[in-house]
Amino acid sequence: MTALALQMPDRRRLLAMSIPFLAVVGSMVIGLLLIAASGKSVPDSIEAFLDGAFGTAFAFGASINRAVSLSLIGLGFILAARANLTNVGGEGQIAVGGIAATALALWPPIAGLPLGLAVILPLLAGTLAGAFWGGIAGVMKVRFGTNEVISTLLLGFVALLMVYWCVQSTALLRQPQTSSSTLPESLPIPDSTKLAGLTDDPESPLHIGLILCLVLALATAIVLQRSTFGLRLRAIGLNELAARRAGMPGSILLVVALGIAGAFGGLTGAIMLQGEQFYLKAGFSSGYGFDGLVVGLLSRGSTLGVLAGALFFGFLRSGGISMEIMAGVPSALTLVIQGLIVIAVAGSVILVEKLQGGQR
Amino acid sequence: MEETLAIFIASTLRLAMPLMLAASGELVSERAGVLNLSLEGMMLTAAFFGALGSWATGNPYLGVACAVGAALCVAAVQAWLSVNLRANQLVVGIGFNILALGATTLLYRIIFGGLSREEIPGLPKLAVPGLIDLPFAGTAFFQQSVIVYFGFALILLIWWTLNQTSFGLAVRAVGDEPRSADKAGIPVARTRWLAVLITGAMAGMAGAFISIADIHTFTENMTNGAGYLALAAVIFGGWNVGRTIAACLLFGAATALQFQLPAMGINVPTAFLLMLPYLLALLAVAGVVGRLDPPTALTLPFQRGK
Amino acid sequence: MAQSASPPLLALDGLGKRFGSLQALEGVTLDVQAGTVHCLLGENGAGKSTLCNLIFGVYAPSAGQMRFGERPWLPSSPAEALEQGIAMVHQHFSLVPRMTVVENLMLGQAKGILKRREFGDRIRDIADRFGFVLDPDAVVGELSVGERQRSEIVKCLMRDPKLLVLDEPTAVLPPGEIGALLDICRRVADSGRAVILVTHKLAEIAKVADSVAVLRTGRLVAKADMKTADMGALVHAMVGREVKPLDVALSDSKEADSKEGDSTDAGAAPVRPGFALVCDGLCVQDRHGATRLDNFTLEVRPGEIVGLAGVEGNGQSELGMVLAGLLAPTEGRYFIGETELTHASAAAVTAAGGGIVPEDRHAVACVTAMSVAENMYLNKLDRFTRFGLLQRRALNEAAAVQMKEFDVRAAGPDVAFSGLSGGNQQKAVLGRELTLDPLVALIAAQPTRGLDVSAVEAVYRQIRAAARRGVGVLLISSELDELIAVADRIAVLYRGRLVGERPAEMGERGAIGALMSGQGI
Repeated sequence: MTALALQMPDRRRLLAMSIPFLAVVGSMVIGLLLIAASGKSVPDSIEAFLDGAFGTAFAFGASINRAVSLSLIGLGFILAARANLTNVGGEGQIAVGGIAATALALWPPIAGLPLGLAVILPLLAGTLAGAFWGGIAGVMKVRFGTNEVISTLLLGFVALLMVYWCVQSTALLRQPQTSSSTLPESLPIPDSTKLAGLTDDPESPLHIGLILCLVLALATAIVLQRSTFGLRLRAIGLNELAARRAGMPGSILLVVALGIAGAFGGLTGAIMLQGEQFYLKAGFSSGYGFDGLVVGLLSRGSTLGVLAGALFFGFLRSGGISMEIMAGVPSALTLVIQGLIVIAVAGSVILVEKLQGGQR
Repeated sequence: MEETLAIFIASTLRLAMPLMLAASGELVSERAGVLNLSLEGMMLTAAFFGALGSWATGNPYLGVACAVGAALCVAAVQAWLSVNLRANQLVVGIGFNILALGATTLLYRIIFGGLSREEIPGLPKLAVPGLIDLPFAGTAFFQQSVIVYFGFALILLIWWTLNQTSFGLAVRAVGDEPRSADKAGIPVARTRWLAVLITGAMAGMAGAFISIADIHTFTENMTNGAGYLALAAVIFGGWNVGRTIAACLLFGAATALQFQLPAMGINVPTAFLLMLPYLLALLAVAGVVGRLDPPTALTLPFQRGK
Repeated sequence: MAQSASPPLLALDGLGKRFGSLQALEGVTLDVQAGTVHCLLGENGAGKSTLCNLIFGVYAPSAGQMRFGERPWLPSSPAEALEQGIAMVHQHFSLVPRMTVVENLMLGQAKGILKRREFGDRIRDIADRFGFVLDPDAVVGELSVGERQRSEIVKCLMRDPKLLVLDEPTAVLPPGEIGALLDICRRVADSGRAVILVTHKLAEIAKVADSVAVLRTGRLVAKADMKTADMGALVHAMVGREVKPLDVALSDSKEADSKEGDSTDAGAAPVRPGFALVCDGLCVQDRHGATRLDNFTLEVRPGEIVGLAGVEGNGQSELGMVLAGLLAPTEGRYFIGETELTHASAAAVTAAGGGIVPEDRHAVACVTAMSVAENMYLNKLDRFTRFGLLQRRALNEAAAVQMKEFDVRAAGPDVAFSGLSGGNQQKAVLGRELTLDPLVALIAAQPTRGLDVSAVEAVYRQIRAAARRGVGVLLISSELDELIAVADRIAVLYRGRLVGERPAEMGERGAIGALMSGQGI
């Protein structure tokens, strides 16, 4: 593989690697054209965008926090993708993670625990819930041959409705109904279960989730590039039968791969809850799962690619929201850009293969 | 009781109708080996452009034409990507769904802006003389907009085409053994293209039903997962027209129960009823309902000599 | 060599085809007359399939011309070839198993509304005319190989072709059905059409062919009229060396082995007592409930090579999957050495000392996109793992040593496995399985398929060396001559059942062949 790659003309390799980049730029240009076509001022929109993404400590922190969530989903995605599994259930995995973390954080004994356990245990609960949710898809795959795209997608819908259920029912997580105007939300979680801030600036929502994310990114990179486990995932992804023949526990590896992807999703849900949102409400995960999926897809399996993509989309979303508020450009524009990027990247796979000399 | 039942049947049919239209179309392309996860996006696009066309021209029939045309455009790009460029069908489908949600929301805000929830000219309901007076289901079945009758005719046509025509034979062959079909002189790419376009047309009808015939307006993300349900129905139905239609009716009934059960004094959480179709679909894809035997080449691109 | 003065139906002139750096076919000039059966002879990889694919429009030639009938012939696709009167029965059938015979035959033929009955009648008519029987309403997935082949032939004949090409038609047939196929070919030629029979087994079809052309490494090396042809010279032309066929070469060395090692004789010097491999009443049913393997019982002693003969599709694949630990038998038990492996995983089979060289190398034995080193140690990665991390340098060094030992030729241990030739891939797989520790039994299925002669010899040298070390070998092959050359005794599998056992001697060839075809049971 390496030897072949080296023989390839550098220019073509560069071109092949730049396709995700070109897709991003092209889609942004289309986005700007759409703004112009809708009669809004393009410079004003860009200014609003930049302001919303970077303008204040709050905006910057919110963008980074979003990027942390997208990175984690993306990391889980590329780990599962190494075993040729496409996890499209990020949204649902965030949802179950959020439910579990909220439930535990609101459980009275937890808030008083020392040594940071009040924070760690809900995080763990979210992670495990996500792992379980991803693992279900894995078990369905190895037991019944169910395509994981279909199962993770369906499980995602179920999980989103579970959040809805939880916040609608006082028997579950809904706050006590004191009046008819009580919102269908959970109680806010106790302060002791919230993630610590990263800066002294009270304006900045940055929290230690960022550190956790970077550590996990490093771990993912090592697992994928250096570990025997990573090689086994690759073998199972490329040729499951041969990997099993060579003694690898194929079924277990597949379940574990989807379980890990789910765990990343669940952790994301817990971090979102404990770091930023502090109470559970329906649709709290909206858009994160699919954005994370797009980040994973664009990265072409590289950890650094995930981080870069997550930053990009983190700022894109924050900026998009600001554009809507300040320049009147609907934030749905960011969805258009994302959709175009996914389609362009998926459509150019053949082109990339050709540029890489037809070797895969 | 009788009235409740009649309402239940009517709302089941109303909720199942877009599923039946979309699923029977999707069935054709899946039998040909192409999976359109973009079904949701096609329906949403159609619902929007149908509403737009109907509103702009004042003619709901032109609206339906716009809906079908818009969905066909999406289908054409999907076909080009999955058949010619051999892109990952699932990923492309997800991309289309994100794009469709973004584009329809964006255009809706730009075009309708302040006129949100503007009522659009809808399709009239046509009663079938004689049959309308049948007990229970008379009004449910025979007091419907023309799209329903036309849709049922199209579903029958699809069933007949798949089983009794050379095109249907070609569709089944390219979905199972594209290499064999190619050697028999069947144009694999063209057959798959046509199959995807049929899906597009039916998804267009489904979207038009939702916005023009049923709700009489467009709202953001108004398909709300119906496309995914239709996909689930195809799996649940084992890639067989009759059973797929039955699955759509079952999903429709499950959703309709959320309005019916409270009326009957039975207290079941709405969330659970909304979840029910997805749970059923999960059971189906897990093979609980019976062994699944999907088309052999489903989602696999074809390239001669490979 | 042309038999008549009439212009040939198909004329090839200096035809050539390159695939990248590979010259698959070069300067082929050949005439095929209407009303004759023309045999195209050549070893695996000689370019026969490429030639057929050029005639049939699968590829375009890179040099030379073709004429078909009166006109220059340059089909752009198989569809055009079919339209113009060339039909081909491929080695791998192009039928859709889920559909019935009549539906398969209507595919690409019928337009508009399907008229199943009318078409069915036409199928029966054609079958009648060429002397066989075929049920149009049978589901193809449930037919025997012979019936599927006849469906293919009818499919071709329905288009009323001027030229019918059959690619290796005898390879898939049990010996008893070959005669019937040749009768059909004769009748087709007698109806004024031309038939091209592609094969590497001249003897089987000699009696039906009118003329013969021999291909070797992409070139036409001999043409002859069958009435006057010298069979020995043709075989010589085909293999390109003195007529010392593989079987002779191998049996020579077998005798040499027995003399020097003295351990191929089962009782003489077994390293381990007892049995290396025991199959006790193994049964396999497929998902449709059909029995694929029926009460299969066989014992292999240490140091013994047992050949398992049989026409493909008689349960060998299922047996191979069961023994590899990839398929659980519905009944029966399976041991390697003392260890029962009936429902064990593939990992357990490896741990118990079961080396497996699977039938389908690409699907089961290797991950072609990974490196040679990774593939050679795919089942022993733990050896190179420290704290969960892979010691890549140690892995590559070990692989380099093993590549030398098993003569695996590649640019290095870290090149992609897909870049290796079939022979080198097989040697690598064999090396991996033979270096298991312990190694009690080796189960090799069709280990020489698609390999060139030198690779075949290398593979059998390794297998015999393993047997000398006391490994029990089960050799599953459809090449009877190879089995006779290598094995100590030969068991025969027919329709999933063990139907007999014979000593591995040339004199038993006829008896074994009869068993393979289901006769003399």
